[in-house]
Amino acid sequence: MKRILGCAVVVLFLGATPLLARSFEVNEFDKGKTLYKNKCQFCHGIRGDGKGPAAEPLLGHPVDFTDSKFWQDDVEKKINVEKKIEDTIKKGKEMMPAFDLAPDEIKAIISYMSHTFKKATQSNN
Amino acid sequence: MIGKKLIKVFFLFIVLALLQLLPLDTAYAVPSFARQTGMPCNECHTIFPELTPFGRIFKLGGYVLSKSSKPYEFPPPLAGMVQVSYTDSKGLTSGVAPFDSNNRATDRINLPQQLSLFYGGRIYDKIGAFVQGTYDGVSNKIFLDITDIRYSNNAIVWDKNLIYGLTLNNSPTSQDVWNTTPAWGFPFASSGVSSTPAAGAIIDGALDQQVGGIGAYVYWNNLIYQEGTVYRTARNGITKPLGAGTTTEQVVDGAVPYWRLALEQRWKNHFFTIGTYGMQADIFPSGNRSGPTDRFTDIAFDAQYQYMGTIDPEHMQEHMQMDGEHMAKAGKHIITAHATWIHEDQDWKASFPFGNTANASDFLNTFRMNLNYYYRSHVGDIGGSIAYFSTTGKTDNLLYSPDSVGGSRTGSPNSDGFIFEADYLPWQKTKIALQYTVYNKFNGAHSNYDGFGRNASDNNTLYALVWLMF
Repeated sequence: MKRILGCAVVVLFLGATPLLARSFEVNEFDKGKTLYKNKCQFCHGIRGDGKGPAAEPLLGHPVDFTDSKFWQDDVEKKINVEKKIEDTIKKGKEMMPAFDLAPDEIKAIISYMSHTFKKATQSNN
Repeated sequence: MIGKKLIKVFFLFIVLALLQLLPLDTAYAVPSFARQTGMPCNECHTIFPELTPFGRIFKLGGYVLSKSSKPYEFPPPLAGMVQVSYTDSKGLTSGVAPFDSNNRATDRINLPQQLSLFYGGRIYDKIGAFVQGTYDGVSNKIFLDITDIRYSNNAIVWDKNLIYGLTLNNSPTSQDVWNTTPAWGFPFASSGVSSTPAAGAIIDGALDQQVGGIGAYVYWNNLIYQEGTVYRTARNGITKPLGAGTTTEQVVDGAVPYWRLALEQRWKNHFFTIGTYGMQADIFPSGNRSGPTDRFTDIAFDAQYQYMGTIDPEHMQEHMQMDGEHMAKAGKHIITAHATWIHEDQDWKASFPFGNTANASDFLNTFRMNLNYYYRSHVGDIGGSIAYFSTTGKTDNLLYSPDSVGGSRTGSPNSDGFIFEADYLPWQKTKIALQYTVYNKFNGAHSNYDGFGRNASDNNTLYALVWLMF
């Protein structure tokens, strides 16, 4: 009986893990979406194409996340794209100011951007 | 007595000097906005308070753009301002306002001319505010100055960006983002004690802090801006707090509609805008709170050109190293030109029967234009402006009657002249300005305009200003 119960617990745990992971992913995605909307969208745009309402008044163009080149790792500097985004958010770049975001918030934004804009570039290709 | 005044003046200068040393910011001129966004002040201003294209978007965005992930700002986004000025014009006295209680309105030295505390930034989430509380050294009064509380959001409509929002404000045109309209138009600061022409349109500042209103706006595709706002008197009711500290001398009857339409087009680093704005107000004659009203209908057109310069990547690096911050990506040379023309129909439905005006109706035409050039140098920003202004209208011998200095011998409201201004910003939060106003015609005439022997040129004004933000 104990063995059956133990197996049931293990099965339930194994079964629940993907669901929990998916739930976490969804939560992170939603969190990232909200953060993107509040922090990034004004310049980078709802579609991530660098054409937000504030893009035109800025004399330089905000980065286009729907460009597949953006998602390429910097081989020369040995920096992957996630690290590049993280550094830009933390330190700012050119006109973009540095943002006071927690590591989990930055991770959430990257998650949202990857799932939304990176996937869009892949499907376009 | 003089010794005490000097001590006070000296003490105030020391305080101002210390404020400059406060490590609040190294390069920010509007500290609460700059602290909130992490951007330098010249991202939003050419030379404050004139807005850059990005500054206009920041304002339309509700002042809420922030580097923080919290939905509110802590500590609250507060900032301060001090204006100290010296005015030289015929008839002014040599005292120091506000310490000289007898001649504050004519004292050459205003120390301070104005002292302000701002709430500038996000209140919560998509709601932000620009709220200015001011101590005026000339009138020796504290009042709620320009107030603009906004809600803003953005969306995609017809495949293009749309910014939409609400504004609650207490000065018509203060909510506008182009520096062509009266509230934020040139000159951005002027003497509080010099004589100014008697005639002015209602939309040209007469209702500042006299009304409160709520409006809605949309800005689509960085191209079309539309706004409609409805004002009511700030003398009583729900809008009363918006006139706090100000005596409501212009009491409007019922709702006052204000409208605005503007088109902006960018070509490389050149920004062109044309627009129109106006309002219609029914106002009780002076001293009345009920009964018949006079009707003022203002229709205005405006245009702006702004060249933001160009900067190559090498200079970008140089700029970034210079301040250790992210400098605005504007060039070293910036040019702005503004023009506005306001036509006002004055229907004296109350004042004429009361015998306060000679005509049943009058009109005013106000025209202003100015050209500003700014140079961002290694030793600070340098600017120069030249402006022309003109007011013409129908002669009315009762409305504009002879009186010493402020009156009119001819009954004409016509005035015109030029303003020359030089600006220097050694730091982004400090502006030193020297302004000279030359009148060709004042209240209807070039010479003996008031009927008491005063000439238009007697009102020529030299104005020196130190303007600190902290």
